[in-house]
Amino acid sequence: MLKLKKLSYSVTDTNANNETFRRNIISNFNFNFDGGRFYAITGPNGSGKTTLAKLIMGINPVTTGSIIFQDKEITSLSITERAKAGIAYSFQHPARFKGITFRELLSIAANTEDETKLLALIRRVGICSLSFLDKPVDSKLSGGEIKKIELATTIALNPKLAIYDEPDTGIDLWTIGPMVRLLKKEQKQHETTTLVISHNRAFLEAADIILLMNKGKLIYTGNLTGALPLLTDLSMCNYKECGEENVRCFR
Amino acid sequence: MLDALDRELLKAVAGLEDIPKGAYNIRKNGKLLVRETSANINIETNAEATGIIVTIKPATRNESVHIPVILSQAGLYDVVQNTFIIGEDADITIIAGCGIHCGTSRSEGHAGIHEFRVGKKARVKYVEKHFATGPGKGKRALNPTTKIFLDEGAQAEMELTQIGGIDKATRLNEAKLDARSLLLITERVLTDGNQSAVSKNLITLSGTDSRADMISRSVIKGNSKQNFYATIEALAKCFGHIECDAIIMDNGTNETVPSLKAKHPDAELTHEASIGKIASDQLIKLMSMGLTYDEAVNRIIQGFLMK
Repeated sequence: MLKLKKLSYSVTDTNANNETFRRNIISNFNFNFDGGRFYAITGPNGSGKTTLAKLIMGINPVTTGSIIFQDKEITSLSITERAKAGIAYSFQHPARFKGITFRELLSIAANTEDETKLLALIRRVGICSLSFLDKPVDSKLSGGEIKKIELATTIALNPKLAIYDEPDTGIDLWTIGPMVRLLKKEQKQHETTTLVISHNRAFLEAADIILLMNKGKLIYTGNLTGALPLLTDLSMCNYKECGEENVRCFR
Repeated sequence: MLDALDRELLKAVAGLEDIPKGAYNIRKNGKLLVRETSANINIETNAEATGIIVTIKPATRNESVHIPVILSQAGLYDVVQNTFIIGEDADITIIAGCGIHCGTSRSEGHAGIHEFRVGKKARVKYVEKHFATGPGKGKRALNPTTKIFLDEGAQAEMELTQIGGIDKATRLNEAKLDARSLLLITERVLTDGNQSAVSKNLITLSGTDSRADMISRSVIKGNSKQNFYATIEALAKCFGHIECDAIIMDNGTNETVPSLKAKHPDAELTHEASIGKIASDQLIKLMSMGLTYDEAVNRIIQGFLMK
């Protein structure tokens, strides 16, 4: 349902001599996502996971390559057009507003202001308290509260493809299990193709397929058992490459 | 008694479809149009005949007063001085506002000078909206002054809104707070074209445990200009906060100067100020939910100014 063909994304950067060069963030990424499956994208910090997700949503422009969604070329479509086509994005660091409540965001997502329907949606999401409804989505919300709201607004869109960028950031340990079950339930009941970017084992275990990224490239696809040796290897210590002997490895 | 234009202006500034219930005083083109008092609320013209005195009896509850002003007379600059005396332990809502309809090339304007004396433990909510419309090219000016004196334990919530069409506005707000009193001011101003608006605020926290919170939300479109100055001066153990946010669109300009003066060692004063365009993460979030860029901008501005 989603095909990424020779996808690359690069930015202009400057080196120590103040000379400009093109730095590749995503390099020649090829993958076909099947409809209704649960994918976990993982990899070290800076490996390009969020950038890849933003290319799919249209937040970052593709440098070369193409994105096919439900047999339609969407590479040049805007964020709005992709959203209307059925792609939803749950941000790692959700936007905070002044003067917009959860009710309003949920109403936009669900395309209704009907109180009964909104309450039904909150119950469907489960992890949000009903008292959230009239809370402003502003800086006063805790990290966990805003992530739950973000998740709810994504689910309320009833997307064909839902992208969750580190949904467990700021979420307490007791909520991660229910959150995983919620995304699995949405996947099963609504056949939502689900892409979760995460380092959390709970999401990796829940996934049908794991995509492991490193340095902007896809280095592994398959199940968790097959990914474990590579994950262990990648987690050895990223600081070694810097040549700093005094830097301790905390991973 | 009210013509179609009067109704349009009254609806915009006071949310009124017709003559309201309860106490009211409607001023049209510099003269009293209609007035009504109630058992607990008296309205009378002041001795100098320059405005009205609204007196709320102590312990008056759940009543409201409407005092809108409407202007549609070419070349008129209407100045009015109103005093509100709110008795102890009363809880009252006052809805004011000025609507200007400018149909000619001659300028029109209004300066409402309002003084509030809020008695011990009384609560007042004051809602003031300013709005101008009409096809005329004359300038529409509004220069409101609000002075607030809060007695011990009194509370005032002021909502001051300029919702569009005003070419030039200079607003002055002053407040003095006695012990344990509370003041919340929320000011919302939208300017566009070549309009300009200046807001000057001075809040003096003179009583122990007095609290003030001043919130300013500005949206500056076109080539318009807005300047915001706010000072909280603390003379006692107290708490004060200024929050001023300006969203600049197009070629608008803004100067925001929050100022804190602690003249007591137990004063606790804070401020936060921001000027900038609409945050891109807000736009992207709304667009990722299917809104177009323009729809996302409107939604953000609407929330920012109306809540």
